Amino acid sequence: MPVSGDVRGAPARGRAAGFSDWLPGAAARRRDLVDAFVATFESWGYSLVATPLVEPLDTVAAGVGTRGESRLFRFMDADGTMLALVGERTVSVARVVATQLQRAPLPLRLCYAGPVLRHTALLNGRRREALQAGCELVGAAGVAADAECIALAAEALVRGGVPGVQIDVGHADFIPAVLDSAGLDGESRRAVLDALRGRDLVAVEAALETTEVGEAERRLLLAFPTLRGGRDLLDTAALDLPHARPRAVLDQLARLWDLLEGHRVTGVAHLDLGAVRDWDYYTGPTFEVFSIDSGFPLATGGRYDGLLANFGPELPATGFVLHVDRCFDALERRSAAAPPSPARVAWRAGAQGEALHLASTLRQRGVAAICDLDPLEGEPDDDVAAVVAFSGGDLVSIAWTREQLA
Amino acid sequence: MSGLRLAMPAGALFDGACELLAAAGVARVSEAVFARALMIEDNGTTLIKVRPTDIPVYVEMGAADCGIAGKDVLWESPRECYELVDLRFGSCRMVLAAPEGSPLARGDWSGSLRVATKYPESARRYFAGLSVTAEIIRLHGSIELAAITGMADAVFDITATGTTLRANRLVEVAEAGRSTARLVVNHAALKTKSDAVNALAAALRLAAASHSDEGAA
Repeated sequence: MPVSGDVRGAPARGRAAGFSDWLPGAAARRRDLVDAFVATFESWGYSLVATPLVEPLDTVAAGVGTRGESRLFRFMDADGTMLALVGERTVSVARVVATQLQRAPLPLRLCYAGPVLRHTALLNGRRREALQAGCELVGAAGVAADAECIALAAEALVRGGVPGVQIDVGHADFIPAVLDSAGLDGESRRAVLDALRGRDLVAVEAALETTEVGEAERRLLLAFPTLRGGRDLLDTAALDLPHARPRAVLDQLARLWDLLEGHRVTGVAHLDLGAVRDWDYYTGPTFEVFSIDSGFPLATGGRYDGLLANFGPELPATGFVLHVDRCFDALERRSAAAPPSPARVAWRAGAQGEALHLASTLRQRGVAAICDLDPLEGEPDDDVAAVVAFSGGDLVSIAWTREQLA
Repeated sequence: MSGLRLAMPAGALFDGACELLAAAGVARVSEAVFARALMIEDNGTTLIKVRPTDIPVYVEMGAADCGIAGKDVLWESPRECYELVDLRFGSCRMVLAAPEGSPLARGDWSGSLRVATKYPESARRYFAGLSVTAEIIRLHGSIELAAITGMADAVFDITATGTTLRANRLVEVAEAGRSTARLVVNHAALKTKSDAVNALAAALRLAAASHSDEGAA
């Protein structure tokens, strides 16, 4: 069917640019995916919390950093307070923990699911509204908490049906520790960090060319995109490093890896010492989860011991977020399974009451059912009062007489 | 062999990219092959040919695992990909040029400038970094004409040899950057196909080094 419209037209009538509608079928499958994620979180003892879509700008800014702040949807409350639509939800959970749950026994295991909004440029293939589901484990400083979050994120993705899950574990202090122990400071440290932040190996090479750096540190930094492997990677890296601080990071990762073995996830995990993450936000182990079916990380997480102090006492915390829409895109790309359609109850004139009762009985048995609003056309049939049709399964139709329905 | 999908830039960098891929033993392709199909496979690598400015888009979105893009394109539309290797071909410079005898050509940067460019984002960052007020005019081709007709005080553009600038009586006022072709890689591909990506990066790095040595000799 041709669709009317032309290039002069406004975007889809009544919908803001950069946002999506989720249509029948897709909307339900997306909801099912979130439900599978949250059910996994709850099975690990994480309690669901719901926080507002709107927070004071100062609160939201604490979570997204100064670079992210410009990408928030901002507006003013009646009293002049600057508000923002949340760009991620960890900061809201942190606020709740530091205020209303400050007397709760630690550690606290909380989870959430909801939309987040970013004022990203149009036409770059990114949605402005995204669904995120995540967990926060607050009040636990050890690597056992980090391992739990990593294993839980991976399990949630697997339970959601995401194929080919692969976990990359890094540490937010490794690169800064290497830079510091290499004696880098001021301008040269900033140049190397900026290049790493831009994932630009060519710029890292250029920045190190003009800088005095120890041979071991130089080799590590120049190999940053390839510093990946299993537990033996830690021994190889430690051999080279004379300084205590990066070695302490490696020791911590070794303990974390042993715990991940207990969680039975090391089969799909790598250590990634060159992982590029927000080094100002994260303070310890970090991780990302990938799938062969997506060009984007599907889960991102890590330890953020500095965040809670924005709202109250300092508390160690670790957590992660699942990017539900990216997961959904990866799943939809692969599976073409037709959604189960509800059974349809059709009826002859005079049998509407019995048909409604039949539909109700089906629903009570867990079968989705639609009851026709109008009778079947044609002559009344004494033998058949109502018909149930399943379009998805094998059973195409069953006919009932009035006596059977009664 | 690699199982990777690689995006090739159409236009000025295309021949250089083909030569380098052949020298590195990655794939043998040519303009003629792409005339028949949009996506081709050679030696286990899938190749697509797209407009240079679209390369970072294909790579960031994961439609290609990796791509060959000019640094000038990466400046203009920064995307979240890894930039792994300087491929050392397609050299050009990003320059600010003004008509001979104009105040800017004589070194007078005062007043507000009107600057024509195909690279509005790069230009905006460049002038912001200098704290110079500039009104950026975005054009899509024949940038020099904007200065010749007086629509703009200066042009902000890439130049390889400077011939076009000289032919249009424009003089270089400042250099804003030096560009070469780069290997860019999708974030997830680097992690999920790391062996293939690292092998490709190593092969291209080696070929680029010996290639540019020959060029220097």
